[in-house]
Amino acid sequence: MSIVAASAPVVEPVAAPAIRVAGLVHVYPEGTRALDGVDLAIETGELVAIVGQNGSGKSTLVRHLNGLLRPTAGTVEILGEDAAGLRVAALAARVGLAFQNPDRQIFAGRVRAEVAFGPRNMGLRGEALETAVRDALAAVGLAAELDANPYDLGYSRRKLLAIASVLAMRTPIVILDEPTTGQDLRGVGRVRAIMDGLVAEGRTVIAISHDMRFVAETFRRVVVMRAGRLVIDGTPAAVFAQPSWPALVATYLEPPLAARVGARLGLGDTPTETALVDALAARGEG
Amino acid sequence: MESVGAFVIGGYAGPLAIVAIVLASALVARVAGRLVRVSLLLTLPIAISVVLVSVFTRAGTTVLFTIGPFDATLEGVQFAAQTVVRLFAISGAISLFGMTTDPRAFVYDLERRGLSPRFAFVAAATVEAVPAMVARAGVIAAAQRSRGLDTEGGVVARARGFLPLIVPVVLSSLTEVEERSLALEVRAFGRPGRRDLLWAPGDRTAERVLRWALFVGLVAVAAGRVAGLVPRTP
Repeated sequence: MSIVAASAPVVEPVAAPAIRVAGLVHVYPEGTRALDGVDLAIETGELVAIVGQNGSGKSTLVRHLNGLLRPTAGTVEILGEDAAGLRVAALAARVGLAFQNPDRQIFAGRVRAEVAFGPRNMGLRGEALETAVRDALAAVGLAAELDANPYDLGYSRRKLLAIASVLAMRTPIVILDEPTTGQDLRGVGRVRAIMDGLVAEGRTVIAISHDMRFVAETFRRVVVMRAGRLVIDGTPAAVFAQPSWPALVATYLEPPLAARVGARLGLGDTPTETALVDALAARGEG
Repeated sequence: MESVGAFVIGGYAGPLAIVAIVLASALVARVAGRLVRVSLLLTLPIAISVVLVSVFTRAGTTVLFTIGPFDATLEGVQFAAQTVVRLFAISGAISLFGMTTDPRAFVYDLERRGLSPRFAFVAAATVEAVPAMVARAGVIAAAQRSRGLDTEGGVVARARGFLPLIVPVVLSSLTEVEERSLALEVRAFGRPGRRDLLWAPGDRTAERVLRWALFVGLVAVAAGRVAGLVPRTP
């Protein structure tokens, strides 16, 4: 089942990086310097996690990617185009952003209407709209809830509904804010499968997360933020390797258990449980 | 008390004196600019209608000019001017109170003076709910704009966005009220008996003296008005 679905994406792929942020500074009206010179380029099809302590600037950064916030200084380019000249409604066709709390967006009396809201705003109608809605709901495992009232669903399923409502917009870039919050193991697996599916279709996926195990096991690139700056940018193996731990601790993050156990046993970099088991097996064979 | 005073005293001198006191207090509190803006915003709609109605419909002997069947009289202008000054004094005094008084401290102080804790909580929660609701509405607007809701377009586009914006605000507020009331009940909020306050706002001698002075002044003005010593609006 394709999340992008049968019809063409709203925005054609371009050669430029999906996202290019240069010298981004954001100062809130009350004077908080939330971003302090962020430089970041994310290529099309990348799967990137943004991590960091509360208040490190993660949400402020992603809100610049769809124009909800405008830079105090610096530039944001989306698919090769300067975001400064585009309204949020136009950027929404390029960047889908699912917020952390589903209850801050759900308004419709039916799941179908809730999911249709975004793509309808993008101009989808008729069969294309219906297909987008059904595909998105199938992707998050809510295909059977098409006519349910969203508030009859539990929190974790409302969270998946909120993700579906963004998937249905078929944007080339998808941002998920804390997608695993409130999810059990099966839900986390579902979220991981959704993101893998999006990347397999060539879409760029970014997620904010505090779940380091999920980050280590899901993403190919991890960006660590602290006090409005990027402090580490690399693969999970590099980010969760022992030399990076002081920087992680400084931003109140703890490497995944597998990484800590691997380091304690002298097995090298084992950011995931699979890597840890493999390292243990290799030692046993050796 | 100043706003009540402005209502009681007629003429120019009293209300203008209250305006001067309010402005001086606002300068000391460093809210003068905001106070003037808010007071004007509160006053203008009523002031415009008062001026239009008073100038052209109030009976008088001195006709200044005529528009169609309406005579603008000097008496009407005087009445309108005095009323506008009083309105500005009232809105200024109320605005000053709002800008310089922490609502929570105000409610705690009322509770300290015998207000029911339940009523005090309802009052404090109501006051605090407004900024919380504004903040929540901001997040909801951001979430809906991220799904392509056009809040920067024309009137039709904005009207279309009303339901997606208002429904989550109302539903999440109701949910929060329910959760908050349950959280209060499980912490024995409904248990009868007197509570000790963990914190009470400071009340300096100078503040008490000023409060009593204002109260005595208000009573004096009211008595003077009844006795015919304080001018009334013509």
